[in-house]
Amino acid sequence: MTLVLTKHFAEPKLHELETYRRLGGYKALEKALGLPRAAILEEVKTSNLRGLGGAGFPTGMKWSTVPPEDKVPGPRYVVVNCDESEPGCYKDRVLVERDPHQLIEGLLIASYVIGSKDSFIFIRGEYQTQYEILEKALDEARKAGLVGKDILGKGFDCDILLMRGAGAYISGLDTALLETMEGKKAWPRQPPPFPTVAGLMAKPTVVNNVETLSMLPHIVENGGEWFAKLGVPKSGGTLLLSISGHVEKPGVYEFPMGVKLRDALAAAGGVRAGHKLKGVIPGGTSMPPLMEKDLDIALDFDSVRAAGTFLGAGGMIVLDETADAVEVAHNIERFLAHESCGQCTPCREGSFWTEEILERVLHGDGVPADLENLPRVGENITGRVICALGDTVGMVIRGYMTRYPDDFKKRISNGQKG
Amino acid sequence: MSVKAPTKSPFTPEQETTLAGWTKRYPHSNLGLVEALRSVQGWHRQITPEAAARVAEVFDLPFNRVWGVATFFPTFTQWKTGRHRVGLCHGLSCWLAGSTKMESCLEKTLGVAEKTTTADGKFSWETMECLGACEQAPALQVNDRLVGAATEASVVKLKDLK
Repeated sequence: MTLVLTKHFAEPKLHELETYRRLGGYKALEKALGLPRAAILEEVKTSNLRGLGGAGFPTGMKWSTVPPEDKVPGPRYVVVNCDESEPGCYKDRVLVERDPHQLIEGLLIASYVIGSKDSFIFIRGEYQTQYEILEKALDEARKAGLVGKDILGKGFDCDILLMRGAGAYISGLDTALLETMEGKKAWPRQPPPFPTVAGLMAKPTVVNNVETLSMLPHIVENGGEWFAKLGVPKSGGTLLLSISGHVEKPGVYEFPMGVKLRDALAAAGGVRAGHKLKGVIPGGTSMPPLMEKDLDIALDFDSVRAAGTFLGAGGMIVLDETADAVEVAHNIERFLAHESCGQCTPCREGSFWTEEILERVLHGDGVPADLENLPRVGENITGRVICALGDTVGMVIRGYMTRYPDDFKKRISNGQKG
Repeated sequence: MSVKAPTKSPFTPEQETTLAGWTKRYPHSNLGLVEALRSVQGWHRQITPEAAARVAEVFDLPFNRVWGVATFFPTFTQWKTGRHRVGLCHGLSCWLAGSTKMESCLEKTLGVAEKTTTADGKFSWETMECLGACEQAPALQVNDRLVGAATEASVVKLKDLK
């Protein structure tokens, strides 16, 4: 099995420039700076690289929507989204911790293609240790002539600036992230225009996830076709899953895109000893769980979608039989209600009431009408809000009620307490 | 609500220099606002309307813009946190690993309810949304550092902090 991002993870001091370069680091950047920008864009398109922050949008296609400099002159930006905050997702943290230069090299390649002279890494405020790792890595890279003016003597200028968030989950959504950067409340924007046309300070802006950008040096080095072949037809390369919950060996694992759910679980040691599988949240808590019958599905964006849920950002949480579906749904809906930014009324109110009703059910005070009202509240949010957070409120409650109807019914009919 | 900046700055001269630094760090001054407010939260352990008004003056922004940001983000508080601000993750993985039990443990050990500061100003604790450390559940954040795989013993150990 080919490892791309985690190949050198066992190497001590990988986070230091010297080690990274000894293992061939920044050679891809040097190669890229000698190539026409359009040629790299073509390689990225050929690679079938898709956005690994959750949306799965083809990266090459996103880049192509940035208007050319002769049509829209002036600055353009590349922003790294290092604001993963959905329960279950922590792969970006590990990528930054272990291999910050891989991300910096990828960011520089993207900045060269897009024409960004000021690029940003927006990192969640809770990742202070990782912020300091990046600060140090950037210092080293600057001193070595890899960041700043005339990079590697090839005439390309690009500075990289770090910025921290302040604890809001919604800042991880591209347009809300840009609002946060601009010093505003993290209220998502209603596209169009999309950020590639009018993003940071209304300039063309590419927002890409840490994992996505970390793939770039490898695509430049080995070619788009090589990368595409590692994965499945419409999604190239490998995939990081951050696995947690009721498993023996939680952690971040790299798999070929399209790995079977069964094999991913096995890599993490399987369900904890003496227990039975109840469900697997594939991509972060916004995604409804996969079930025992789904163990043979392929984990790639399109296959998971066909199974009725989403691969998201690969934040996999395993649930065994001790997890009660009402309690799990309550925990997730509480999170969503807390993180709803309040801009769209259906989401602000709907997430609040979903949590309230579930709270009542949990305390043994549920009434039969709750079984109808819970999915109805969710349906009234879906499609009536700016961003996906509101949609997930309905998706989560419907997901758990349809998969585990007995957990809900028994609480309500018996007035059973938690 | 509108608050004017107090005549005497709520910040020390060094802090004023840091704030001015944030206005110059990025291609536009506004881009430094969230970072500046992070600094203020660190200095005062809260953001008061007066402090926000002074930040607004430094950034040449309306008070409401700054106060809106200061009251939106969970990192910023309008109550004074302890010198040691302890966060307990209660995201799904941490909850599965027993974060609820840790809540009672924090309350008992530190002797205060959530979002309340001990009389000596040393500690406060609060539940936090996912800290991004699900493989180390349940996770605690002590000031800006992660304490993974927390147990009752790790909570008791907090008392040793200076």
